[in-house]
Amino acid sequence: MVLLQLDPFLNELTSMFEKSKEKGSVWVTLKRSSLKSKLQKRKLSSAGESIEYRCLIRATDGKKTVSTSVGAKDHQRFQASYATILKAHMTALKKRERKDRKKSTEAEKKEGTSTTTKPKKL
Amino acid sequence: MVYIDTWDEFVDRSVQLFRADPKSTRYVMKYRHCDGKLVLKVTDNKECLKFKTDQAQEAKKMEKLNNIFFTLMARGPDVDLSEVTGKEQMETQPVKKGRGRKQ
Repeated sequence: MVLLQLDPFLNELTSMFEKSKEKGSVWVTLKRSSLKSKLQKRKLSSAGESIEYRCLIRATDGKKTVSTSVGAKDHQRFQASYATILKAHMTALKKRERKDRKKSTEAEKKEGTSTTTKPKKL
Repeated sequence: MVYIDTWDEFVDRSVQLFRADPKSTRYVMKYRHCDGKLVLKVTDNKECLKFKTDQAQEAKKMEKLNNIFFTLMARGPDVDLSEVTGKEQMETQPVKKGRGRKQ
């Protein structure tokens, strides 16, 4: 398990997506963690200090795993970069062409969107 | 494996699950370009919620969900979420007075 800084992690994630284009999957896992052992946690809580939590992110292509942890300060920046990478690579998904199976769910969504958009009254 | 049919239900239940047990809840995403499929899973090791799709529009919704989870996990489960505008903390109230609203 390789723990990286934010930017190298994003680079690795990008290369994983590119490698898995022909076959294979990319898994990304998000979990909250303080990255401290139980002993350290106990010490901190008994001393009256708050434990700083971070978001642990892991990415794997089935063979190689990379990870990084994001704190409250970095999470917005990471979020933006992460979203960009996903948008750039998830191009194989269909664009509302299938109307057989998804008819009912799409109809629901359409109704949902129409009701939420309210005209502004001055 | 419990596959949820509607996106909104999946989001609501996932956030509930996380807030109930933030320490053991994790969010997993699996993307297969060759099959054009995306699967999302949220579990606390007792209960498991899944959502699968092959639609590009749901990927956009997933990005919003990613943001939600990032905020919840990095800042804490007590964060007040406003999905449309962005993430606001309950402690620091946003000082956005005088936004041109008619008085």
